Amino acid sequence: MTRVQLFAGVLTATLFLANHTLAGGFQLNEHGARAMAQGGAFAARASDGSAIYFNPAGLGFQSDASVYAGITTISPTISFYGPVESDPGVKTSMVSQTFTPFNVYLVAPVTDRLVVGIGAYNPFGLGTEWPDGWAGRFLTTKVDLKTYFVTPTASYRLTDQLSIGAGLNYVMGSVMLGQDLAVSSVDLPTSPHVSVSMHATGVGYNVGLLYKPLDVLSVGASYRGSVKLDAKGNVSFNPDYAALALPTGGVNTTIKLPATGFVGVAWTPMKDLQVEADYQFIGWSSYDQLTLHFAADNSETVAPKNYQDTYMLRVGGEYTMDAFHFRAGYVYDHSPVKTEYVDPLLPDANRNGVSLGLGYDITSHLSVDAAYFYLKFDQRVAVNTIPQTSFDGTYTSHAHLASVDFGYRF
Amino acid sequence: MNAWKTTAVAVVAFVLVFFGGCTDNGPGVFAPSLGSKTVTKYVAIGNSLTAGYQSNGLYQSAQIYSYPNLIAGQLKLAGATLGTFEQPLYSDPGTPGADGKASRYEIISLVGPVIGPRGLAPGSPLNLSLARPYDNLGIPGAVIFDFLDSASFASKAVPPRSNPLFALILRSAALGNSVFAQAKALHPDLVTFWLGNNDVLGYATSGGVSPAAPTSLAAFTYLYSQAVDSLRAALPNASIVVANIPDVTTIAFFTTLGPHIAAAVAASGAPFRYQKHGETGVASGNTTFTEATPPLICLTGSAYAPLLGQPTGKWYRDKGYPSLPAGIDTTKPFGFHPQNPWPDALVLDADEQAVAATAVAGFNSAIATAAQAKNAVVVDINAFFAGVKANGYFWAGEEFTSEYVKGGLFSLDGVHPSSRGSGVLANQFIKKMNERLGTKLSYVDISALPGIPAGLSKEGNAIPIIPPEAFQELELLWGSR
Repeated sequence: MTRVQLFAGVLTATLFLANHTLAGGFQLNEHGARAMAQGGAFAARASDGSAIYFNPAGLGFQSDASVYAGITTISPTISFYGPVESDPGVKTSMVSQTFTPFNVYLVAPVTDRLVVGIGAYNPFGLGTEWPDGWAGRFLTTKVDLKTYFVTPTASYRLTDQLSIGAGLNYVMGSVMLGQDLAVSSVDLPTSPHVSVSMHATGVGYNVGLLYKPLDVLSVGASYRGSVKLDAKGNVSFNPDYAALALPTGGVNTTIKLPATGFVGVAWTPMKDLQVEADYQFIGWSSYDQLTLHFAADNSETVAPKNYQDTYMLRVGGEYTMDAFHFRAGYVYDHSPVKTEYVDPLLPDANRNGVSLGLGYDITSHLSVDAAYFYLKFDQRVAVNTIPQTSFDGTYTSHAHLASVDFGYRF
Repeated sequence: MNAWKTTAVAVVAFVLVFFGGCTDNGPGVFAPSLGSKTVTKYVAIGNSLTAGYQSNGLYQSAQIYSYPNLIAGQLKLAGATLGTFEQPLYSDPGTPGADGKASRYEIISLVGPVIGPRGLAPGSPLNLSLARPYDNLGIPGAVIFDFLDSASFASKAVPPRSNPLFALILRSAALGNSVFAQAKALHPDLVTFWLGNNDVLGYATSGGVSPAAPTSLAAFTYLYSQAVDSLRAALPNASIVVANIPDVTTIAFFTTLGPHIAAAVAASGAPFRYQKHGETGVASGNTTFTEATPPLICLTGSAYAPLLGQPTGKWYRDKGYPSLPAGIDTTKPFGFHPQNPWPDALVLDADEQAVAATAVAGFNSAIATAAQAKNAVVVDINAFFAGVKANGYFWAGEEFTSEYVKGGLFSLDGVHPSSRGSGVLANQFIKKMNERLGTKLSYVDISALPGIPAGLSKEGNAIPIIPPEAFQELELLWGSR
């Protein structure tokens, strides 16, 4: 039984389970429509509740209590040409799905300098699903992930120019993945379909600082520590042929998600215009393999991943005219996945994203932000894929995202 | 305001250009092609591996998955005008053994498992009346000598060869009086040629008893180069693709029982006693299977492995010995006493392994030289099998190994590939053809090929039980001439 593939699935699945600042995987910028509209280049401003994600120190400069809440829709389109081993020209398209992560941030100043807040957001309500019976069914048929982050945050404005902040991330996730099980020897009436369902929990922390040396210049830096996720669940097989002695039952794994850091600079070149550029580093090299443990027969399998450290570049800006805010941004996302490790569970590639958005102040308390983001992946040619994958071909992907958030300032 | 306007225009322009890349342009569609080659006739020459022989029998539902038939399918997808690739199809359950019943192994019982022929009535040939030679001239039991040999086909059906398949497949001297003559008569522009396996396998699978040595290197080298020379002289413009010989240690026949026996030996605490090459009485072989080159146990020993340690003479009875050989005392524990040792025919000791390895190395060198001289392409099956034994074989998430039954590559006789194994072999030929002949053939989809028919066999770790009579076919095909 090729448990190796079950693993590759869980591993990749759990990539999503954390930190939405993952580069690689289905990491998209949907933590607030205002930031998303600007390519997510927000760590040096972090001027609304989404600071809880981008830079906790941003809360220290917020003097009003506020609520910021909204929802994003994500619609990816992914196609695979191959596999080169048998049918290089055949195109398989992933089943269309739309995902809807949400965000809610509450901010409350406690004193003149101390501001606290709490955010709940599910940065990954994503997945990949391939048609039944497709060529890669022994690698994956479906991956479905949901994550919930709850982040209590506190920020302290040390001086009029400098604020620091810190938060704790309580992470809960659910992972469902499916694939067909290859039995290479005998003919079976139907290949068993494997379903893994796991819940994961973990904790992490973030810290940040925001420094405004000049009215027109601010510098932000934030860091999210790695999160150790404990995932536990069940694996089931359908049909569960007794003769194959499949390890139906408990399955568990531990995953250490990488640390990530932002450094950004924001500048007001002229009245009513803000621009920002951020560099984000993600320490994916800590992710070299995953071990999956099956309770039924106390066996373990190891899947190699060998991810590389990577980075993202974000640029964005906002122009205010009366009650309207016009926003645009650009993101470059460098993939952590090496060519030979690309597989259909996570067809990753370098990505370029463009965002546009509009904010409107409805009243002096109530505002609405809308954003649209288009993410295009470079065409990824998976060649000489590792033996456990043995599935060479070309992936093309893009995604459309739209987001709406309402903000209420008390 | 002007700067703002310009910026705005630039931004809009950038976005429009960016969005212009909105459509998914995949890579160009790959169309399999023959490159600059024309293929109007493909002929396959070889032995049982080429014929699609599986699980100790020749039967239609395995023959359609012979590697030549699979290659023919991929050639046609690439535009080759081959017509039907004709094979000497024999209806299921296949060819008869010496007892007149179908010799094909099946999984008889899930408990054990018990593997062997079911005693079914044999099938019959399906297209004997084809008015020309078959495109698939793979003949089970053929050795390199047989390629050019023009002795009558019927003469090979009686002892010492006792192989009726020459007559079945070659049929009539009117079609050509040798394999070579029949291949030539078809005027192929593509030939695959895989002979030489039986020149060492007869020796090895009989535990080095019968024949008592592989084909001599001098004889093999002469015969092989003569074969390739003849082919090239007759078909000056054809593409000739030859394959070399895998090491015997890489096939399931030799690697299946060993671990079970080793475990039994370790549990008993006593060393295993076996006959070395040529010994018929008291044995000198003595092992705990911990040395660098332990003896290899032949699959033919599967009925006897469960009897280790017992005072049994079953082997001698089954072989029809009129009386026990001098020195043998069957009251002693079988396999654990030099006077009731594991028989020579069921084991390949270190020296015999060395003889086989030397033979294979020599044969492969002769193959490489002959191919080079006559501009033939060599498919390195030796390296491929060695790699599979070491690392397994992977295909789109599916894993295959050289393990008996479980591994998926070998059929139930532990020597011939399963249908999926055949697909894997076909792909090795295709890979080499694409590399060297400039063709762009697409590979066979292994996951679309059938596995071994079974109920839901328990792929456990028990010793497979194959009744000794089941191996008569093997012995006849490869036995002493």
